Amino acid sequence: MSKQLTPKSSKKQSPESSKNLPPGLQLENVDDRIMTLNVGPQHPGSGHMRLIIKVDGDYIVNCDPDPGYVHRGEEKMAEYRNYITNIPHLERPVIHDSCNILYPYCLGIEELVGIEVPERAKYLRVIAAELNRCVYTQYWLAIYGIFLGHSTMFMWPAGDRELLIDLLEKMSGARVTHAYFVPGGIRNDVPANFEDVCLRQVNYFEKRIKEYAGIFYDNPILIARTKDTGVLSREDAIRLGTTGSVLRASGVDFDIRKKEPYDVYDELDVHSNVMKAGDSYARSKVPWLDMLESCNIIRQALEKMPKSGGVRTKLKPNPKGGDDEVYRRVESGRGSLGMHIVSDKKPQPYRLKISVGSFRNLIAMPYLLKGEKLGNMPAVYWSLNYWPVEADR
Amino acid sequence: MGTATGIIRALNSGIKHIAVKRFTLRYPEQKLKFVGDGYQYDPTSGVGIAGYKGRHILFHDKCTGCNLCSIACEGIAEAIAMPKVQNTWKQNKKSIMPQIDYGKCVFCGLCVDACPFYALYMTNDYELSSFTKEGLIYTPEQLAVKPQVQQDSEIIIDKRGARHG
Repeated sequence: MSKQLTPKSSKKQSPESSKNLPPGLQLENVDDRIMTLNVGPQHPGSGHMRLIIKVDGDYIVNCDPDPGYVHRGEEKMAEYRNYITNIPHLERPVIHDSCNILYPYCLGIEELVGIEVPERAKYLRVIAAELNRCVYTQYWLAIYGIFLGHSTMFMWPAGDRELLIDLLEKMSGARVTHAYFVPGGIRNDVPANFEDVCLRQVNYFEKRIKEYAGIFYDNPILIARTKDTGVLSREDAIRLGTTGSVLRASGVDFDIRKKEPYDVYDELDVHSNVMKAGDSYARSKVPWLDMLESCNIIRQALEKMPKSGGVRTKLKPNPKGGDDEVYRRVESGRGSLGMHIVSDKKPQPYRLKISVGSFRNLIAMPYLLKGEKLGNMPAVYWSLNYWPVEADR
Repeated sequence: MGTATGIIRALNSGIKHIAVKRFTLRYPEQKLKFVGDGYQYDPTSGVGIAGYKGRHILFHDKCTGCNLCSIACEGIAEAIAMPKVQNTWKQNKKSIMPQIDYGKCVFCGLCVDACPFYALYMTNDYELSSFTKEGLIYTPEQLAVKPQVQQDSEIIIDKRGARHG
C-alpha cells in the first residue's frame, strides 16, 4: 500500500497528536485501518469477475479488478476450426450481442477470400446489428437498474427487449446466439411481411424507451446516486484507451459507424451522441441515447433497402485465404470490437485476435473508483459498459 | 426541476401503467407463433428459408447417409452420430442416418446448410426436456416424426400498449 493513495477523508494522524489523546482513544495507524474486501467472484449480473477493493472506512483506497474467471480460450479454439465452423463459437462471449461480434469476423474473411456481399444483405446486416445492439443495451440497462435498487427499471427493459428479440427470432430463427452472419452475407432472407412488423415494433419500442426518462433518467434519486461519481476527464479517457459509450460520455466524438463506416453505414445518416460530463450519469445515459439513434438507423435502412435480390454470395465449402492478414473493427454495444485474422493458405485461421471494448473499458475502473465511497461502486462499475465474459474471451 | 416534482413525475410514469395491458406471455397456456415450419435450406440457391431453429426433422426417403451433417457438426457441438437403421432404402446403401444428441446441440443449423439432398430440416418444436440424458438422444426414427405444435400467440400493438394474444 503506497502512502500517496490516502483517501480524501482520512487525514493521517501525526504521532504527536495521538499522544495527547486519553488512553483507549488512541487512533491506529492508517495502514492498519485499511481492510481488503473481495467483491465477487460471484457476479450478480453477468459472468464471474472479482474486484479486490481496499477500503478505509467507507472510502475506496485502491481497486484491483481481477478478470479471467470465464476465460474460454476462444482465440486458441478458432485456430483449430475452419472459417465456417468458427461462427457458432465466436458469438459465445456475448450471446446478447452475437451479430455484432460476428460482424468484424465476416468483414475480415470477405476481405481475405475476396468476395462481394449483395446489397440487400448489407442492409439486413445493419438492421440485425442495430437490433442486437438495442437488445444488449436493454439487458445492460436492466442490470444497471437492479444494481441501483430500482426494480421497475429491471422489469421494463427486460420486458421491452422482448419486442426486438421477437424480430431477431423472425429474421434468424433463434432468440439469442443467432449464427446469422456468414462470410458472404447472411444465412437466410427475412420472411415476407418483415418490414411492416419491424417498423411497427421498432416504433413502439422507441415510444417505450422514451418513457424511461421520467422514471429513471430524470429521477432525482438516480441523479443523486450517479451524478459526479467516477468522473473520467476527456484527456484521461483518451489516455486510458477507453472506447464506445464511455469515451463518448467523456466528450470525445468517436463512433466507428461514423468515422470508419463499414457496409452501408456511409449511406445512412448516423448521429453519435456525446455528453461532456464524464460521470456515471453521462455513461448511463449515452447508451440510452444510442438506442434511440439505433431506431432511427433501422427506419432509414428499412426505407433504403432493396426490396428483392440475393442475400448470400456462395462460398466454397472450405474457404481459404491467401498469405495475408486483415484487421477490421465495428462499433458494438460496448464500443470498438476488432478482429485481427492471420491466414496462411489453410482453411483455418493461423491466428485470430479479438480486441473487445469491455476489456479496454475495464482498465479505467481502478482510476475511477479511487477515493469513491464503497456505496458508489456498483454505479461506477456497471456504468463502464463492461461484460466480463467478453473481456475474458 | 425540484426533487419533489422529480419524484412525483417518476411515480406518475409508473402509475400510468395501471391502465396498460400486461405484456407478459403466459407461457404454458400461450405459445409464441413462429414464421413458417422451421429453418430450411435450399442447396441449389445456397440460401436458407427463414424459420425457427428447433428440433430437427429427418426425411428417411431422402437421406443418403453421406455423413455431411455429421462432418459439419464436428468442431461445433459434435452432437450428430451416424448409427445403422433397420429399414433399407434404395438411396441409402450403408443404411446409416443421423442421430442427434440434444444435450450437446447448439441449434446453429449449420447441419441443415450442409445437407445437399433436402433431407434434414428444423422444426418449431423446442420443448425437449427429459429426465435422463439418454432421453435427449433422438434416434433417426424419432427424428422422422413431424412435431405436433400449437403455437398461435403473437405480439399485438394497439393504443393500450403491446401484449401477447
